[in-house]
Amino acid sequence: MSEPENARSRQEGTHLLVRAGEYACALPLSSVRRVVRALTVHPLPGAAGELDGLAEFGGEPLPVLNLARLVNAPAGPNPTYPVTVVVWVGPVEAREMLGLAADSALEVVHVQAGSVVAGDGGFLLGEAPVGGEVVRVLNLEALGRAH
Amino acid sequence: MSVPDARGFLLLRRGGGLWGIANSAVDGLAREGMDYRVTIDGGILMADEILGVVEDLRVWPLAPVVSRYWPQPAAGLAVHGRQPVVVVDPAHPPAALRINPEKAGAEGDRLE
Repeated sequence: MSEPENARSRQEGTHLLVRAGEYACALPLSSVRRVVRALTVHPLPGAAGELDGLAEFGGEPLPVLNLARLVNAPAGPNPTYPVTVVVWVGPVEAREMLGLAADSALEVVHVQAGSVVAGDGGFLLGEAPVGGEVVRVLNLEALGRAH
Repeated sequence: MSVPDARGFLLLRRGGGLWGIANSAVDGLAREGMDYRVTIDGGILMADEILGVVEDLRVWPLAPVVSRYWPQPAAGLAVHGRQPVVVVDPAHPPAALRINPEKAGAEGDRLE
């Protein structure tokens, strides 16, 4: 692999690792806009469990999804520093900004493309070993696609 | 991305959230016990609290991801005082605001 290809591959494989319940999830760093202390969320009556509600971020309304619910993670211990990860989802030409409520932000890691296995081809790209733990690698582009 | 600005919204609270309805769609407002009854073209809505009227709201279209997990009609989303607002489509108000059928026949105290 040439040096520019190698650099691009590393960039595409760079992820933010976050804790959601008992799972660690890897979010593509290129889709992460900001990590902030958990935003105040206002529930939407009748919403599915995946949608915690709406928050305000930068003067705009921000839908906040519950990451643990999205990946069906078993509940973990009460988080001491919960965060909202503000991300872009959907294809580049029609991307949306939304928040992902997570228990904590852990670190930035590199996920080898060849190490990702057993995904559903959609939001859950697959699982990969990172630092001795199996993490869920997520495809945020798929989260924004119409179903 | 945004839709053109709209002017004049009645702001109300219901179910822990903030809702906005275009002033032009509101026909009446009455108190009913601890609640408020808002009459619009599309029917009667209930509110826990009336916050007042704002002249300007910048309205963003409802994101598809919101519609996926909250399949209710709405005209869009906005922010007022750092709080998110769901802007109601008066022709298709969401279930959370619609009056309980059991209360539909009850009379409210008209606000003057």
